[in-house]
Amino acid sequence: MLVSSASWAAPASPVAVARTGSGPAGAPGTEDLSTRRLNRESRGADTTSIMRLRGACPCPENDGAGPALRFSGVVHRYRSIVALDHLDLEVSRGETLALLGPNGAGKSTAISILLGLQRPQEGEVSVLGTDPRSAMASGRVGAMLQVGGGSGLPHGVRVGELVTMTSRLYRRPSPVPRTLARAGLTDLADRQTQRLSGGQAQRVRFALAIVGDPDLVFLDEPTIAMDVEGRRSFWAMMRSFSQEGRTVVFATHHLDEVDAVADRIVVMRRGTVVANGAASTIKAAVPTRRVRFASPGADPARLRELDGVDAACVRGSEIVLDSLDADATVRALVASGVAFSDIEVTGADLEQAFVALTGDLANAHTVDDAVARRRSGTDSALAPVTETAR
Amino acid sequence: MTGLRTFLRFEVMRLLRNPRYVGISVGFPVIFYTLFLHNEHPAAHIAGTTWKTYFMVSMASFGAMVAALNAGGTRLAAERASGWTRQLRVTPLPSWSYATTKIAASMVIALPVIAVVELTGLLLGGVRLGLATWAALTVVLWASALPFASLGVLVGFVASSETAYPVVTALMFLLSFFGGLFTPVSDLPVVLRHVASFLPSYHDASLGWAVVAGRAPGLGDAGILLVYATLLGLAVTWRHRVEESRAFA
Repeated sequence: MLVSSASWAAPASPVAVARTGSGPAGAPGTEDLSTRRLNRESRGADTTSIMRLRGACPCPENDGAGPALRFSGVVHRYRSIVALDHLDLEVSRGETLALLGPNGAGKSTAISILLGLQRPQEGEVSVLGTDPRSAMASGRVGAMLQVGGGSGLPHGVRVGELVTMTSRLYRRPSPVPRTLARAGLTDLADRQTQRLSGGQAQRVRFALAIVGDPDLVFLDEPTIAMDVEGRRSFWAMMRSFSQEGRTVVFATHHLDEVDAVADRIVVMRRGTVVANGAASTIKAAVPTRRVRFASPGADPARLRELDGVDAACVRGSEIVLDSLDADATVRALVASGVAFSDIEVTGADLEQAFVALTGDLANAHTVDDAVARRRSGTDSALAPVTETAR
Repeated sequence: MTGLRTFLRFEVMRLLRNPRYVGISVGFPVIFYTLFLHNEHPAAHIAGTTWKTYFMVSMASFGAMVAALNAGGTRLAAERASGWTRQLRVTPLPSWSYATTKIAASMVIALPVIAVVELTGLLLGGVRLGLATWAALTVVLWASALPFASLGVLVGFVASSETAYPVVTALMFLLSFFGGLFTPVSDLPVVLRHVASFLPSYHDASLGWAVVAGRAPGLGDAGILLVYATLLGLAVTWRHRVEESRAFA
């Protein structure tokens, strides 16, 4: 568990860079430049969309202050399995919300109900002030669903054609060239969909989710097939999109993304919300503290026996202890007579919080990384790593 | 409704752009017509018309059937597997429109396929019919392609992306052989003649054979096709419901 925190610190930093690099003013400006040529070429399409905008009927009762979405007392079962257990959840307009939870926590069921793909068996759900199906039919909701093995795209069509066709299903779509530029697809517009890489296909699916100019977007594991660079640019474009006052709800297993992107985090477990708040709030709610110090040649087995220690890890001369009672651990460490220096006590990171809240080790992807590294890494240049979890 | 039209145009465009699909749908009936035209004397009399005309009708209905079955079956199964059908469900398109549009697209393609086979009959087989008969024949064959369009979509919903192609191919050959599209039904053994009388492919071609022989199309044939179209349409609706309910379970 401990090993992993280092492995996810690396991808976290590019996301943070992306965040500062794409300010609210900067991103749209550069985008306009790059799409100007395309806009000129497809002026026809732009004019149509402007006309449609004018014809669109504003619905004052829906566009008011109410939440973007609300679950109240929602229960949903699959035979004997309870997927949602009296779920209450509210998301404000303009908010970017991360939905976390192990597999089977009810995230996908919640999302499918929000999208109108399933009806809740009990309780009430409202999306943009109306029921989920009406919200979807009105074109104000966009979604990027998880696809199993496939690309999620039809074959025999070019990217630009697919996005254009989808845009015409909406009453007031964004101009296609703008959507393509936004999803980083301008250069791929003429590419056949079956010739796209996994990450490219995912960007196309993102374009399909936003081309309708939705007020609310759902993204279910949007970066699952992307490399670090792909994820970085994905969240950069996502941020410029959400900064226009849109509501974004996403589910992910990449906890570093959550920390960098979400305004608020909702952790689900067994069909209910177990934690709800900003990343810092959620981290603070977890009693785990991290005790770090240098102690060359220390015996990890002995350190693991210290009061309050939940897990211990040795990296070269550095020792990292996860403790449920940092004060007791430090006192015990001093009493044990082990020589140490440079001691540091820090709060839990999001991954530790996630594991503590859900009791789910397998789904913190970085833990998988750590295990994989441990399996293959004994003969590598890395120092031997030990890990225990009670 | 603009959405539906857009989606239909998109589906038809994708079908027309697929060389394998167009090759099978147009190539098979045209090649078979050319190959088997001289199995009998082209001017030989059969069922109140000539062999060249009779067989042109057989191949036109075969072509429409092949086009309709392939348009739905294989591609739909692949799109279900890839997740595209689910993506469409999170657009403003009404949920019934996917299957409906697939059926409509099959029908749109079936029409030119019938026309191409008729043209082959006219140019290669020397088939001569009055303008009204050509028109009536085209309309009758086109309308009776509907059960096959629904059948193709049904296969696409039921089969996996691996099994859809063999299932479609098997249906294509079973329906055409036992429906008397390659060997006239009157030449088949009695048992197979009974089998033929249950197959939509037989009744489809029968309507056309009646038109070219100057007879009124049989109401029985039309009725059976209508029953097939209705039952298959209901089956598609049912499978579509099943598919929707399990989308996230």
